[in-house]
Amino acid sequence: MEVERNKRMRIDVDKLPMKRLLAIDEIGNEQFPPEKSNEEQRLSAIHRIDFSLVVEKEKEKEKEEKDKELSKSKDGQQQQQPWQGLMENLRQAQHELSVILDLISTVEANDSVAVALMQRPKPLPNEALADFAVSAATKVQRLRHLGRYFKQCSKTMEQQVSKEARFYGSLIRLQQNWKVKRQRMGISEGFTFDLFDSRSLSGADSTVLTRPSPMSTIIIDQDAFGMLAIQLPQKSCRTLCLKFLGDDSSTCRIKNNTSEKNASSSGSDIAQPPSVKEILSDEDVSGCIGTTHSILRDIHRSLFEEKVFEMVNREAFNNQSSQGINVTGMRQDFLQLVIGQDSSLCLSLVLSEPEGEYKENGKDGSYNEDSSESGSSSALAPILLPTDDKNPTRSFSKLALSSKLVLSLQIYLLSIFHQETLSRAKEGHSSCGSLLAHFCMSVAHRVFSNKVLSILENLVSRVSYIELVSHPTWHSRTSSWSLRLKVPEASSVFDGGYQKQTKRSQFLTKVVIKDGQISLRGQSSATIVASFAGDATEPHSINTYTCDLEDLPMLILHQVASQVIQWLHEEALVVGMKTSRDLLCLNVDLEQGDTLSLMARVDPDDASACISWALAIPAVTDDAVNFSFYQTDSDNPGLKFLGSLSLESLYSALMDLANFCGNGAVC
Amino acid sequence: MDELGNASAPKTEVLASHCRDFMIAIKEIQTMLREEIRSTCEYRPFEKCDYNSRISNEICCKKLEHIIEQLDAMQQNIDQCSNSI
Repeated sequence: MEVERNKRMRIDVDKLPMKRLLAIDEIGNEQFPPEKSNEEQRLSAIHRIDFSLVVEKEKEKEKEEKDKELSKSKDGQQQQQPWQGLMENLRQAQHELSVILDLISTVEANDSVAVALMQRPKPLPNEALADFAVSAATKVQRLRHLGRYFKQCSKTMEQQVSKEARFYGSLIRLQQNWKVKRQRMGISEGFTFDLFDSRSLSGADSTVLTRPSPMSTIIIDQDAFGMLAIQLPQKSCRTLCLKFLGDDSSTCRIKNNTSEKNASSSGSDIAQPPSVKEILSDEDVSGCIGTTHSILRDIHRSLFEEKVFEMVNREAFNNQSSQGINVTGMRQDFLQLVIGQDSSLCLSLVLSEPEGEYKENGKDGSYNEDSSESGSSSALAPILLPTDDKNPTRSFSKLALSSKLVLSLQIYLLSIFHQETLSRAKEGHSSCGSLLAHFCMSVAHRVFSNKVLSILENLVSRVSYIELVSHPTWHSRTSSWSLRLKVPEASSVFDGGYQKQTKRSQFLTKVVIKDGQISLRGQSSATIVASFAGDATEPHSINTYTCDLEDLPMLILHQVASQVIQWLHEEALVVGMKTSRDLLCLNVDLEQGDTLSLMARVDPDDASACISWALAIPAVTDDAVNFSFYQTDSDNPGLKFLGSLSLESLYSALMDLANFCGNGAVC
Repeated sequence: MDELGNASAPKTEVLASHCRDFMIAIKEIQTMLREEIRSTCEYRPFEKCDYNSRISNEICCKKLEHIIEQLDAMQQNIDQCSNSI
C-alpha cells in the first residue's frame, strides 16, 4: 500500500492465492484445508460477497427518487399516467442493472461482497407463456436432434449389416464347395480356405510325408464394401507341362479361367467406378463369388498337378533301373525321359501365366528348347520322326496330331495318377506295378502307332479299292485298324441246281499293334462252302504274322494283292473256268493246254500304283487273243503289263478270258 | 410408444424396459450369428471332404474339352469336304 504525497491512494492487491492454515502441530507441520475445485472456489467467493453496503446505498437513492417523483408526479400526474407504469418498470430495471454492474465490478476487483437478498420480480402472464413456449421449443429441438441421431444410427447399422451380409453370404456359398477354417490368431480373427487334401494321402503309404504346401491355405479378406476377397499369391500357380524334345510348339494351353476376368479378386483391383460404390447389386456379389471360385479351382488344380509331378519324380528316382524307365535329365522342376529309341519326353512344372513368359527352370544349352517363347505363340516345329522323310506333304497333319497327342498324353498322365491316389485312399494299397513305366510305354506306343497309321493312310490313299477302318481298343497300349477290300458286286450267277451261299463282299486285313509290336491278320479264307463238295476251294487259313515297320507296307500290299487274286479265283470258279492259284498269280487254263497267268506286282515305293498287274501270255499266235491296247514289254515278249487296274476292269478282263476259254462257261 | 410421448416425462421404468428389450434382441441376434459362423467352419470336416471327386471332375472336364476340340476339327473337315464337293 502506497501512500503518495498528493493524497491519491493506490491500492495494489496481492494476486497470489492465500492458503489459510487450518491447524499447526507442535512439530511444525502445517495443515491446510482440503483443496477446493474451481467451481467450489467460485461459489464460495460469490457467497462471501457482501452486498449490504450497496443495497443500503440503493435504498437511500430510491427513497430520494421516490420523494422527487412524488413531488413531480403530483404535478403532472394526469398527463403522464399512461407512461407511468412503463417508466416505473424501466427505472426499476435500470436499478437492478446498475446493482448488478456494481456487483460485477466489485467482484472483478477481487473484493468480497456479501449478497443479502435477491428478489425476483413477479412474472407477468405473457412471460409465463413465453417461458413455456421456450421450453417446448427446446424440447422439440432436442427430440429432433435425438431423432436424427437415431436415424443416423439405423442407417449405419443397415450399412454395416448389409456389408457383413455380403461377406458372410459369399463365405457360405463358397463354403459349400471349399473347406473353410477359422483362425483366432491372438487379436486378429480370420477365415482361410484350406485346399489341402489330407484324405488322398491316407493309407498304407505313411512313409510319404507330405506337408501342405504354403499355397494350400488361402487367407480370406474383406474389402471396404464387404465383398469377399482372397489374397492370391502372385506367380506361384504352376501346371504340369509335357513336351517332346525338340518340339517348340506351345502344347501347354493353360486354360486359365480367370484370364479374362480380373485375376486378383482382392479389393484393390475391383474395377468399380466410385459413383456406384454404395449400390453393390447381387450380380456384383455373384460375379465376385464366381471369380473367387475360379481362382480357387485353378489353385486346387495346380496343387494336384504339382503333387503328380512329385509322384512321378519319386517313381523315377526309386524305380529307375528296374522298371524300364530311362531318365536322362532331372532338375528342380524338370524331368526328361527317353521314350522308345528316338524321342525324349520332357515333363516340367511351368508357371501358368497366360500372357507372360514361360518360366521354366533349367534352360540348359544342351537342350535345344526355346522355352522363352510366350505361351500364345503358335510356332510349330516338325517332329523328328523317321517316316516324315518320305512324305513331306504329310508333315502338316503330323503337327496337328502332335499337339493333340501331347495334350491327350498329359491328361492321361494326370488321370492315371489320380486313379492311383483314389485307390490308395480307398483301399490303402497302391496299384501293382509302376505307373510311370506304364505311362512311358503308352507314350512309346502312341508315337509308334502314329507312324504305323501314317503308313496305312499312305497306302490307302494310293490304292483305290482299300478302305481304312480304325477300331477303338480302350487300352492305352493297343491299337488296331482294318484294311477293307471291297469287291464289286458281281451279278449273281446261278449255276446248275445249287445256290450260292452268301458271297463275301469284302476282305479284311487286320493290323494290331501291341506295345510296339505289329501283327497282321489277313483273311483269305472263303466263306463259300459249296455244299456240292466238289473240288472246291480248299479252305485257306487266316494268315497271322508279325512284322517290322519297314516291312509293313510290302506285307500289306502282298496281302491285299493275294486277296484280289483269291477273289478273282473264286469268280472264275463261279463261271466255270479252270483256274488255279498261286500266291500272287492266277493261272487260267486255256483250251489249247496253255496257261495264261495274271500276276500281281506290288511296289510300296511307287507313287502312283502300288499294285500293278501283268499278264503272262503263252506263245503268241496270230489269230490268238488280241490285246491291242496293252503294251508289250520289250524284255519279255510274253509278258504284258497292264498297269494298275480297278477291280471292275479286272473282273471284266476275267470275263473276257472266260469267253475265250470256252470251257462251257456261262456268261 | 404413447407413454414415451407423454407430456410429463415418461417413467423411467418404461424407458428402461424398452431399452432392455432392444438389448436382448441384439444379443439374441449376435449369438445366432456366432453359431452360424462357427457352423460354417465345421461343416466340412475331414470325412466329408470331396476334393478327390473335384479333381476327378476337373480331369473329366479336360478330357471333354479335348474331345470337343477334336470333334469340332472333324466337323470343320467335313464341312470343307462337302463345300468342295
